[in-house]
Amino acid sequence: MTTAPTGYRATLRSEWIKLRTVRSTYATLAVAVIIGVGVGLLDVSSIAGHWDTMNATDKAAFDPVGDSLSGFQFGELALGALGVLAVSTEYATGMIRTTLAATPRRGALYAAKVLTAGLFALAVSQVFVFGAFFIGQAVLSGKHLDVGLAEPNVLRAVSMAGFYLAVVTMVGFGLGAIIRHTAGAMAAMFALVFLTYPAARALEGFSYLPDHLVLPNAVDVLATTHAPTGPHAARVPSLGFAYFDLALYLVVFLGLGAWRATRDA
Amino acid sequence: MTRQTTIEVPGETTIEARGLTKRFGPTVAVDALTFQVRSGRVTGFLGPNGAGKSTTLRMILGMDTPTGGQALVGGRAYRDLADPLRTVGSLLDPAALHPGRRARDHLGWLAASNSLPARRVGEVLEQTGLSGVAGKRVGGFSLGMKQRLGIAAALLGDPRIVLLDEPVNGLDPEGVLWIRTLMTSLAAHGRTVLVSSHLMSEMELTADHLIVIGRGRLIADMSMPDLIASHAPADVLVRTPHPALLADVLRGRGGIVRGEPDGALAVTGLTSEAISQLAAAHGADVHELTTRRASLEQAYMNLTESAVEYRASRATTTAPASASASTTTPEGPRR
Ligand SMILES: Nc1ncnc2c1ncn2[C@@H]1O[C@H](COP(=O)(O)OP(=O)(O)OP(=O)(O)O)[C@@H](O)[C@H]1O
Ligand SMILES: [Mg+2]
Repeated sequence: MTTAPTGYRATLRSEWIKLRTVRSTYATLAVAVIIGVGVGLLDVSSIAGHWDTMNATDKAAFDPVGDSLSGFQFGELALGALGVLAVSTEYATGMIRTTLAATPRRGALYAAKVLTAGLFALAVSQVFVFGAFFIGQAVLSGKHLDVGLAEPNVLRAVSMAGFYLAVVTMVGFGLGAIIRHTAGAMAAMFALVFLTYPAARALEGFSYLPDHLVLPNAVDVLATTHAPTGPHAARVPSLGFAYFDLALYLVVFLGLGAWRATRDA
Repeated sequence: MTRQTTIEVPGETTIEARGLTKRFGPTVAVDALTFQVRSGRVTGFLGPNGAGKSTTLRMILGMDTPTGGQALVGGRAYRDLADPLRTVGSLLDPAALHPGRRARDHLGWLAASNSLPARRVGEVLEQTGLSGVAGKRVGGFSLGMKQRLGIAAALLGDPRIVLLDEPVNGLDPEGVLWIRTLMTSLAAHGRTVLVSSHLMSEMELTADHLIVIGRGRLIADMSMPDLIASHAPADVLVRTPHPALLADVLRGRGGIVRGEPDGALAVTGLTSEAISQLAAAHGADVHELTTRRASLEQAYMNLTESAVEYRASRATTTAPASASASTTTPEGPRR
């Protein structure tokens, strides 16, 4: 066999084995699917069931893509947890010492971890959102409310919902690398996803910039076919700014994680 | 690869510490430690709790960055080794694993990380007697089973250097015997074994050479027989119905005589032949005459005790007492 010395491929393979040989990976994915797809299904079923009696405002707010994916507002936490656990358990269990004995170059190790968890999260997220989208459209088709991927903004909305879930996973990953304690990193991830929204709203008197920087508002633009209307419209960033948000979160959290992971274990 | 073609030269320096120092805040855990570990023998790494053994091993393995000095394995810093598991196998903490992972998978990711053939996993599981529990999650393992798994991980890359931190902890008698056999056979095949332990009787059976540290500093670096001989002289046990008479005679000839609790005499400074002749000449019957080799435990106790005195005297006076200084070999005997 060819032996690339502590080759990059070897480190990637090793990290991939780690990811798929613990139950928490499957447990978090199962929760993400059940909540993500399940809640979205309930949402669109209820809309389809009540469509004929719904008022005009609610009908205008209806988004066949966004509503079929609404379960991931909660399902994303399970993916964030997957990201946290991918790193925090190494430190919490002390296994990191075994890892470092095998792969002493911390920078390469961290990069391999990021790449493995990131690509895995991206793949499963896309499967989830496209699955939820097609199931949702099947339900909506009963009332001819469904849309196809070829219609304007639909493919972008669905794929960006998947990309957003992968970003949340990697924010969890970064927090796991920074905090190194599972419970602490979970709490921080939860706060970042859920509590930044009311915090930014409290600052609306001064500026809408905080609103534009929080993930729940960014996803309201990214994962929908049409931007929100009404009072919420001022809160959400432009589509371009929302892309910037995702990049910013990735850079900040993975960057801080990298800084921490290359110090002494 | 070079691993298979390398001919291990017994006595070659494979691990080297040069002025190795580690501070944790105000604590000096390892203090300018210089030593060499050679292949083809088992080197015991001894010292009281908190002496700095584990910290030294972590620095050798590139896990802790030294505050000063350096540690080399196979002539290189550990972090510069390509596929380090092929050169150095180590067991520091048997609990350093994910409890939810199966034993086979734990070894699986390790093997993959260093491009080791997958069959090595089955081989080391067999070698450590864990084949039957290969599919079990390691969280349910007993301490001894985790210890075996840690040793399996250390052997995975078929390394020529093996570092073990208290490997017999938690092992049953059969496991203790197994690891003793393993270490001596690795050494017999020209590999380097550096093992820390607090079990002196076990070390006495296993180690050829000893490195003793206290408070982070080197106290002794010498062969097992030398260390025992220089720090705990052998004595002769004499059992006689006339202990008072014989004790006087022996003292008159320069022997140092202590009474044992059961009335026997423990004599140093005279050979058993001399004692036997003196007893016969003075009409004292001798019922037992046994030369007792001192144990490593005694030698170790004397050694570490004097090390503490040595350090205390150094702290208060500028000139170290020459008697205690002679028991220390800070540079090692082979420099
Ligand atoms: N991460 C750390 N932070 C602070 N102090 C530390 C750390 N690791 C070790 N020490 C200190 O360094 C000293 C040496 O510890 P070390 O674990 O190396 O000793 P040891 O010889 O292995 O002891 P034992 O026989 O009990 O295992 C101790 O005083 C310990 O408290
Ligand atoms: Mg220790």
